[in-house]
Amino acid sequence: MYNSAVRGKLIDGEKSFSQISKEILAPIHAKTPLWWYAAMMVSLGMFGFGLYCKYITVSTGIGTWGVNNSVAWGWAIINFVWWIGIGHAGTAFSIFLLILRQKWRTAINRAAEAMTVVAVFCASLFPLLHMGRPWLFFFIFPYPNTRGPLWVNFNSPLFWDFVAISAYLLISASFWYFGMVPDFATIRDTAKSKIKKAVYGFFAFGWTGSSREWLRFEGLSFVLGGIAAVLVVSVHSIVSTDFAVSVQAGWHTTIFPPYFVIGAIFSGFAMVLTLVITMRGLYNMNDFITDRHVDAVCRILIFISLIMGTAYMTEIFIAWYSASEYETYMFFKNRLFGDYAFQFWAMFTANAVIPQLFWFKAVRKRMWIVFIISIIINIGMWFERFNIVVTTLSRDYLPAAWANYSPTYVEIGFFVGTLGMFLAGVLLFFRYIPMIAISELKSVAKFDKPNNGQLKAKSHE
Amino acid sequence: MSKKYILGVFDDEATLVDAFEKLKDKGVMPVEVYTPYPVHEILEGMPIKTRITHAAFFYGLFAALGILGFLTYAAVIDWPLRYGGKPFNAFPSFIVVTIVATILSITLLTLFTFSARAKVFPGKKAEIFHERATDDKFVMVFDEDGIANDSESLKAILTEHGKIE
Repeated sequence: MYNSAVRGKLIDGEKSFSQISKEILAPIHAKTPLWWYAAMMVSLGMFGFGLYCKYITVSTGIGTWGVNNSVAWGWAIINFVWWIGIGHAGTAFSIFLLILRQKWRTAINRAAEAMTVVAVFCASLFPLLHMGRPWLFFFIFPYPNTRGPLWVNFNSPLFWDFVAISAYLLISASFWYFGMVPDFATIRDTAKSKIKKAVYGFFAFGWTGSSREWLRFEGLSFVLGGIAAVLVVSVHSIVSTDFAVSVQAGWHTTIFPPYFVIGAIFSGFAMVLTLVITMRGLYNMNDFITDRHVDAVCRILIFISLIMGTAYMTEIFIAWYSASEYETYMFFKNRLFGDYAFQFWAMFTANAVIPQLFWFKAVRKRMWIVFIISIIINIGMWFERFNIVVTTLSRDYLPAAWANYSPTYVEIGFFVGTLGMFLAGVLLFFRYIPMIAISELKSVAKFDKPNNGQLKAKSHE
Repeated sequence: MSKKYILGVFDDEATLVDAFEKLKDKGVMPVEVYTPYPVHEILEGMPIKTRITHAAFFYGLFAALGILGFLTYAAVIDWPLRYGGKPFNAFPSFIVVTIVATILSITLLTLFTFSARAKVFPGKKAEIFHERATDDKFVMVFDEDGIANDSESLKAILTEHGKIE
């Protein structure tokens, strides 16, 4: 049994083990609610519009986008970095809290990892279509070819990025899947219908819960947890080198890797909050994802928000302190008061100022305010990427090359399409996959009187 | 089924561990223990061990060497190209790809090892002793032939907190 002096009980309402399985699996065993179909239609509609815009992009070309010779990276890269950032929280949540032995993660990590997989998938579409000739994407693999063999440039951050993103997608998906195997077995053994038994039985890979399986399962999660922690930090550092390795004012800074990693975890945790509050609202999971869980995430967000604020201030300070004419211009003329000043101040307010409201307990315990702030943070993080990508590119070293940028409907539709894909993925997750890691949650279930007080429970860890 | 088994079924972790330890003192070991979540006392007490972490280390070692070797071969020996005035063997910038690809190799190989060693793979049919062992019951399985001498004391310990099925 798990006893925590600091956090108290992790599950409300004196539940037995079978009650835990039953309540978490209720949405899977129940009939599909009507709102689910309605929401699915909406997200598929968005997805369809996205497909249409992708079709235009591929059949006509990148010319249908608003990007130009100066601002060659527009919404595509902004949205790519935004989705990857959101995708970081799942792994960050499971891994860092696993390493720090924060047991309260068990109620949230499944949802966070699901979000990761869908978000990284959404992200990977942007660079693919920005290639212009996506059907030749395999040129980026270093494979023996008839062109020499000519190898790819291993010094290029864009190649590192490709390796990192594909590795991250594969690893987070398999980490997520193997965590679900024991829960699929629970569904198999509790399901009434034959079809459900067969389908989940297949996905459960013959799991029985024997000590031989558990022992190796623990070894596996230990190994994956340990190395995925390195991966979380390195993937977004690599994304940041896409910018930092170039010699552009506002990009060419050493603060970029940690700044990007922190920003990614920030937006991801905000998205986790959005997701779990939705889950609480729709599926009545308040006993598992308690107010104390939401409170803990809010406290983490205060801390990360302070780091974000510090990073923004550091960038501005260093721009002045470096005495570089270009850096000073970029920050003091262009970002703070230039054509895109609105985006800068929106970013600053949403990421560094508004989350500070979480200092107040009254804010943290009102779910609708927390929900709104979590959305605001995600919008703010989107503006951060806009600010980094567009302001720097639009004001080059050469005033003759200056250009402004605004997206066309094709780019907007592409983004809306990925939002639809994300929503559809989340809805499928709600419907067909246990939203909370049942077996992990059972291991932290704490009963006030174990076995009616006959035996004293031992606590481990 | 050719063999006969005795199942000890418990409602929670504490009673299971208590019975397991009492039986272990008597020298009676279950063939297998099925639990809804990992119980560390059982995993440590059972005469099984796993070397999956050692395997992962060696996968990582060989993957790192292999990838670094490939990058050096491709960029230095097979088709050297000057990029931005950097030397052919731009070792520091090879590290990034090496780290990420090593992590990927470790993950995939360890997953396959897990799948092979724990015998958890697609298409496997589960051998279920007790329907609720993945839900809320903790089940110890004993081979009836192996414990012929101790069956009375075994049953006494099992029924103290659990029941026999």
